Amino acid sequence: MVAALTPARVQLREAPTTDKPRSLLSRISRNKTLLLMCLPAIVFFIVFNYIPLPGAWIAFTNFNYRDGIFGSPFVGMRNFEFLIQSGQLWLLTKNTLLYNLAFIVLGNILQVALAIMLNEIRSKYFKKISQAVMFLPYFISVVLVGVIAFNLLNFDTGALNALIEQTGGDPIKIYSIAGAWPIIIIAFHLWQSTGYGSIVYFAAIMGIDNSLFEAAAIDGASAWQRIRYIILPSLKPTFIILLLFSLGGIMKGNFGLFWNLVGNNAALYQTTDIIETSVYRMIISQNNFTSSAAVGLYQSLFGFAIVMLANWIVRRINEDYALF
Amino acid sequence: MSAAVATKPRKVRLDRSDYALRGISYASVAVFAAFCALPFILIVSASFSSEAAIMKDGFGLLPKEFTFAAYEYIFQAPRQIIGSYVVTIVMTVSGTAIGLFVIAMTGYALQRKDFPFRNSISFFIYFTTLFSAGLAPTYIWVARYLELKGSYLAVFLQLLMTPWLIILMKNFVRSVPYEVVESGKVDGAGDFRIFLQLVLPMMKPALATCGLFLALGYWNEWYLSSLYLGSTVEFKPLQYHLYNIINTANALRNSVAGSNVSITDLPSNTLKMASAVVATGPIVLLYPFVQKYFVSGITVGAVKG
Amino acid sequence: MRKSLARAGAAALTLAMSVTALAACSPGEAEESGEPTTITMLVLGDKPTNGRLEAMLEKLNVRLEEEANANLDLFYVEWADWQTQYNTQLLSGDDSIDLITTATDWLFAWENAEKGAFLPLSEEMLQEHAPRTWEQVDAEGHWELTKLDGEIQFIPEDNFTQWTNHGFFYRGDWATEAGFEDGTITKFEDFTTYFEWVKENQKEAYPWDAAAGASDVALTGYLQGHTDGQTIQQVSAGNYFPFQTTESDPNTVGSWYMEGDELLEAAELAKEWNELGVWREDALNYDGDTREEFYAGLSGTDQHHTQTFVGSIVDNMTKKQPGSDPKFFYWGQENGNYFRDILTHGAMAVNATSQNPEKALEVYDVLRNDEEAYKLLNFGIEGTDYVMTDDGKLGYPEGYDSSTDALGSNFWAGRMDEFEPDRVTDAPNKQEIYDQLDASAKDYPYSTLIVNKDLIDPTLAAMGGVLSEYIPQLQYGKFDDPAAAIDEMRQKLIDAGYEDARDSIQTDLDAWAESQG
Repeated sequence: MVAALTPARVQLREAPTTDKPRSLLSRISRNKTLLLMCLPAIVFFIVFNYIPLPGAWIAFTNFNYRDGIFGSPFVGMRNFEFLIQSGQLWLLTKNTLLYNLAFIVLGNILQVALAIMLNEIRSKYFKKISQAVMFLPYFISVVLVGVIAFNLLNFDTGALNALIEQTGGDPIKIYSIAGAWPIIIIAFHLWQSTGYGSIVYFAAIMGIDNSLFEAAAIDGASAWQRIRYIILPSLKPTFIILLLFSLGGIMKGNFGLFWNLVGNNAALYQTTDIIETSVYRMIISQNNFTSSAAVGLYQSLFGFAIVMLANWIVRRINEDYALF
Repeated sequence: MSAAVATKPRKVRLDRSDYALRGISYASVAVFAAFCALPFILIVSASFSSEAAIMKDGFGLLPKEFTFAAYEYIFQAPRQIIGSYVVTIVMTVSGTAIGLFVIAMTGYALQRKDFPFRNSISFFIYFTTLFSAGLAPTYIWVARYLELKGSYLAVFLQLLMTPWLIILMKNFVRSVPYEVVESGKVDGAGDFRIFLQLVLPMMKPALATCGLFLALGYWNEWYLSSLYLGSTVEFKPLQYHLYNIINTANALRNSVAGSNVSITDLPSNTLKMASAVVATGPIVLLYPFVQKYFVSGITVGAVKG
Repeated sequence: MRKSLARAGAAALTLAMSVTALAACSPGEAEESGEPTTITMLVLGDKPTNGRLEAMLEKLNVRLEEEANANLDLFYVEWADWQTQYNTQLLSGDDSIDLITTATDWLFAWENAEKGAFLPLSEEMLQEHAPRTWEQVDAEGHWELTKLDGEIQFIPEDNFTQWTNHGFFYRGDWATEAGFEDGTITKFEDFTTYFEWVKENQKEAYPWDAAAGASDVALTGYLQGHTDGQTIQQVSAGNYFPFQTTESDPNTVGSWYMEGDELLEAAELAKEWNELGVWREDALNYDGDTREEFYAGLSGTDQHHTQTFVGSIVDNMTKKQPGSDPKFFYWGQENGNYFRDILTHGAMAVNATSQNPEKALEVYDVLRNDEEAYKLLNFGIEGTDYVMTDDGKLGYPEGYDSSTDALGSNFWAGRMDEFEPDRVTDAPNKQEIYDQLDASAKDYPYSTLIVNKDLIDPTLAAMGGVLSEYIPQLQYGKFDDPAAAIDEMRQKLIDAGYEDARDSIQTDLDAWAESQG
């Protein structure tokens, strides 16, 4: 019986698709209300994103104020060279990618789990208070996250080592163990983002048609079946969209978090250095607008390629879920 | 439309798996919430501790040598902080209202299957998350050509919407059945009226979610303020004001710039903590009010086929 | 909507055609009899909110109207993220700014001059609109220090003595007990003895509670005192300054990171200190306020420069740790390898987009040379912002609290020794310290050298990456085998292109040396 509750039922009835192809003008006039409804957003993105976009050309120039972005001498790929010369490009790309993958995979699993569990909680006050509390980390500036981490983990006065010593163990030099830091960084990231991120999934669960749950209850479905056959499938579109968005930024790192947790501690760089932190150290205190633009372009191109691929795959599986 | 208020279905009957799931849920949520609360308790207690005690013994769950010194410093010029609160609240409320309306409108149009431009416009919007002009060109454009430097509008406008929220909204709106649109059409309503009068009221969870994210964006913003406002406005947005308090001492210590300034005796650690409390407190208190909409606004089921 | 689209489109076209066509400066020749012109000066610092600045400006503007028919307004680039903010401010081409505080060593003066942010100042212009300043700087031949391609780019703060040479602050009382005569340490290595004593006898304190930000100071301290290396200040790689010449061979570019055994010696000393527990195990991540800890007796040593020592360390330690007898050991003290401040540590430029460049120069000339205006701008209103004590020192009125009552005008680009009285907070032996420094300090030989960094920027960035990986760990003694680590670092620097960069700088140095005759 439960098998009848296929995801297909969650899909609401399809709207009729447009009939024959028409000329562009007639299509515009037929849809002018809907187009007008999109217009404010379109204007917004034109003004704040598309118009300055050609300025990304700055990455290929030796920029000066007198000649402007398009008048400054063209220098080809020179602004990209330092990334290659540093000999770090591969390590940085790898670290950035792996961290982001971990953030995406673990982040989404935790967010979904948390949203499902929140949905199970009946006590109104418990739910409200716990949700508000889980929001707290999102508000704590990363500077403070760094301070908290240091106070927990440092060798001389850290709370963790104090605990270890009390129980008779030997204190650990956590700030010298490169291997421990991926776990620590991921933990802090999850700590900071899970409560916030679960909101989307929680709202999606709240939006599920109640009749589905009623039918499941009548059919005698267990809690696990309810999750497996109703909740998870209905979270799929949300998950895919979240995924496609995170993939676009897969080469962009959370500078603040990494910098405040690791900072100058080069002993940890092997496992913690990402593009943002490394570039920051290389061109800090030089007003180097061009090199940072070059790095941005590299990250964008990478993200673009991955997203196009992912979207193509999604489209092949189910056109409904594709972003575009 | 009264059917929109659906009854809880799960009162029917519970088997063992339901109790198990519920037990796991309460336990896990409690543990995770505790993890989230603990550091905040450290922060609150540190903010009420004396700088000397913190310097010597680090943080604790209870304040050491209880004092209001850090708060006194933050509130020594209450005009400043009140002004910052007002600026941020005004921006957050109006930005969320306007942004949310535009986002909802766009999201709705983009999910209409009979709207032939929905894919191209979605891509047009999504594309901006992949490529951006970068700091310098955007800055030149906004500051010099739009002449928004030193204007709150530079911050306000740029936070109005994000591609992510529009696409998220589009995704949420899917759950509004097409029958609603059809019934509107039968009544002779235009697309905009259908949206405004029929669809919008059914989108409460989506509006609450996106609105929350928008509001948080406004509330937490300091970066655009640092670029476009700097010292030019009398009242900085709250987070930027606090960001300055936190980072000034850090920026000066060990930097060449410090040669000209004697860094005054700021209670630096406790001050950082107190500013975190001041910035976070209000919005955390606000959250339960927003949360109401997640629970009450179950939309689907309004038109049962 | 269509209209706004059209406008946006037109604007886009403008942007595309000339993003930064700097408006040719139309000389806003306000009639001398007309309304006073307002000149805006960009300064660094947090904008004060205590009302004292405005009160001062009101009085100052009366004076400025008399002298130059102008008013002054200040624009603040605030400390949080000041590097980004300063550079984006210049990037914006904001024509409401007339005067820009700059500096060659910390405010990107050359980089911004090369990018065309400053209005080149002709001799005639300076002679006509800033005659007193012109004469002063010209008399000492200092205009040469500010020229790019033969054009004057900014006005140096060249009549103001300050010493920003770095070193250790330590406690004379503890050093005495540690066995140093007079409590005075005269050699870098001798700090080992001092540190050992502190470790042994002052359980509460770290011998030197060092913070992450100080990630190369002790290495530099050792290198400066044990070589005759002269750092080329124009070339940095990330946070580091890897290129030196030597006093014995001032025409050959090299690097003390690349050559000689001194870096290894320094690193081995650092390793010894690390094992001794001079600093926290996690010093590389520690971000506490180490100065406050020095004041609180929780650290035996602190690190910064002479100006900080005479201006605040002595005063604070005398009050907070009576009898601590604070002392200063500066890098290069043992071999006389240290330098006078460069004369462009502060400078004033005229904004390339300023509407009133002539008037801006006139105002600057008054601020720098008119005693009444100078005192108002720098010290504030006598009686409320400062008082003169009976012995002629600058002090503060009763109840004055420097953390809330500071004037904050931050004019660091044209201070004059002749208008600067001693301050009550100055170390009593300030003059003695200055004289001692003056006795054997060297003048920085390359003040007028311009290094063309266009070609080597990628290399410098890559080198900065390598150095940031090794130097902090060497400094805090974190490598098990410093010798191997140094070899590794040197190889990576070579891979990053060190030799090309060195040769390129050498070419510039040769050309410069030739032009010097």
